[in-house]
Amino acid sequence: MAHMEAFLAATGLTKSFDSVQVVDSVSFTVRSQEIFGLLGPNGAGKTTTIRMLSTVLDPDDGDVNIGGHSVAKESDAVRRLIGVCPQELALYPELSATDNLVFFGRMAGLSGSQAKESAADVLERVGLTDRAKDAVRKYSGGMKRRVNIAIALMSRPQMLFLDEPTVGIDPQSRNHIFDTVLALRDEGMTVLYTTHYMEEADRLCDRIGIMDEGHIIALGTPAELKAQVGDADTTTLEEVFLSLTGRSLRD
Amino acid sequence: MRLVIRQALLLSFKDTRLFFKDRFAMGFALLFPILFIVAFSLALGDLGPEDEQLRMAVATEEESGFSREVIDLLTIADATGVDEWDPKDAGLALHEGRIPGYLLFPVGFTQRIFNGEGAEIWVITADGDPETEAVLGGLARSIGGRIGTLSLAVRGVTELEGLGSLDLVKLGQLGAAPPSIVFTTEQVGEVEPFNASNFTLPGYLTMFLFFAAALGAEAIARERQTQTLERLLSNGVRRSAIVAGKMLASLYRGLLQLAFLWALGIFAFSIDFGVSPVAVIAISVFMAVASSAFGVMLASLVRTVKSASSAAVLASLTLAPLGGCWWPLFITPDWMQALGRLTPHGWANDAFNKLMLFGAEGQDVLVHMAALLLFAAVFLTVAVARFRTVSAN
Repeated sequence: MAHMEAFLAATGLTKSFDSVQVVDSVSFTVRSQEIFGLLGPNGAGKTTTIRMLSTVLDPDDGDVNIGGHSVAKESDAVRRLIGVCPQELALYPELSATDNLVFFGRMAGLSGSQAKESAADVLERVGLTDRAKDAVRKYSGGMKRRVNIAIALMSRPQMLFLDEPTVGIDPQSRNHIFDTVLALRDEGMTVLYTTHYMEEADRLCDRIGIMDEGHIIALGTPAELKAQVGDADTTTLEEVFLSLTGRSLRD
Repeated sequence: MRLVIRQALLLSFKDTRLFFKDRFAMGFALLFPILFIVAFSLALGDLGPEDEQLRMAVATEEESGFSREVIDLLTIADATGVDEWDPKDAGLALHEGRIPGYLLFPVGFTQRIFNGEGAEIWVITADGDPETEAVLGGLARSIGGRIGTLSLAVRGVTELEGLGSLDLVKLGQLGAAPPSIVFTTEQVGEVEPFNASNFTLPGYLTMFLFFAAALGAEAIARERQTQTLERLLSNGVRRSAIVAGKMLASLYRGLLQLAFLWALGIFAFSIDFGVSPVAVIAISVFMAVASSAFGVMLASLVRTVKSASSAAVLASLTLAPLGGCWWPLFITPDWMQALGRLTPHGWANDAFNKLMLFGAEGQDVLVHMAALLLFAAVFLTVAVARFRTVSAN
């Protein structure tokens, strides 16, 4: 279970695009071996925050420390610690699952044999060993999502970023992903997880940060957040979310 | 540096593999240009290596005599284009349409000459074939003129010797030389039939080399949209390795196009590389480098997949005619030739025309090579400065 020391610490993260402040002085920590949920309506700044945490975007201000390394100053060291599963299916549909995994593994610095070995391991973990040689374009939506996660696990990271990993898939595949994420946490991995599904966050996350308009507006365990708006036993996380972010459309 | 090279190579190999799996991309890069080359070579009146040589058929009904000697002389060398036929076979071949016509020396042709009577050479053609009639008629008149002169000379000799009438036996006893006809063929310079493919193939090769590379921008924009480039960055891949890898992959495809289309040109269209084949290859490789750099630059300037494909089509179809891919720049007005100099196509095509049509040597196109490399450097500089891995959304 989660340790108390922070594996990730974001301090005053700020980012603007074309003079629009997308992320504004965001600070939070993710404890070692916990699943931290980052929730928020569309346009809240979640994806931009993940991009800054995962070294893809440089913040305008602030810094992030992951596993004792500054993202701004030691980005290479940080990249060796993390695995990122983007919101989109960031893979090559014409290649097989194995070929996708080996390619991304090798790009991450693994040798050919290491990449093949790791590919076999992660395919088994996400339950796709039987279909490993099929082109990914022939997979169902759920299987593609599992490959998307598997790629992030190729270099055996200590921290995993999952940006809406269960969008548009059936309950069976979603449950399989839940089980995989929980198993990874139990094996010692730290996970930052974003989702629009409140019951998913409630089920998986040890702690949750709710973002809106570029700010963290609430932070705590699911029970603590529920207690902020009503009875912790009867209030749902969705009620908490709507109570904090309002009911107006955000598209 | 070593890491960047490794990552760039891995990325370029992966992209090349994807190219081989994409039938449409393969067809566009390799087969589509063939359709254009064939169509335009046909339109310009030549598809094969040489013009078809006109063959003329001649036959004689005489066993010996002048007609036999004339035919022997005409058929002694293949270059004259005259074939001897048996009279019956020639008639049958004409009837079956295998030959358009023939020249026939009738029985008694020689004797009538010696007797001072009017000898005839028959021109036999199919009805309504004035071209063949004209060609064979020209040959008959030429032969008749020669024989007429000879006949006069022989008659002069016989009268001087008091032989009275022309007698072949007596003529032989006088030691008169047998009548001879001399045909002389003069070759005027190195005139070879124009092979239209020497222009159309390099032109369309240049166009499709650039087009395929420009369309590569679409694939890069798609990768940005699907976050694979972002994933690579978070995997520790250098931005410079992504730019280099993408350009290398495009270059491999370009080199494959070059190898395929040049080989096709040599074996199917008998194109001539001129006196400096190395320069032709160098120009095409430099054009491939410039095109690859353009594709990556285009990807760095556009935001979406749709805008990438639109910009690629627009740029390719604008620069191709400006740069002399559809017609030779040297037949265009000065202002258009000047515009062509602003495109890599213009420099490449000008060099190809000089090398393959006008016999220029490698040193004559050094400035063209430098220009193509300059284009590549400018495109690549913009690409590196503007390349984005993260989608705007």
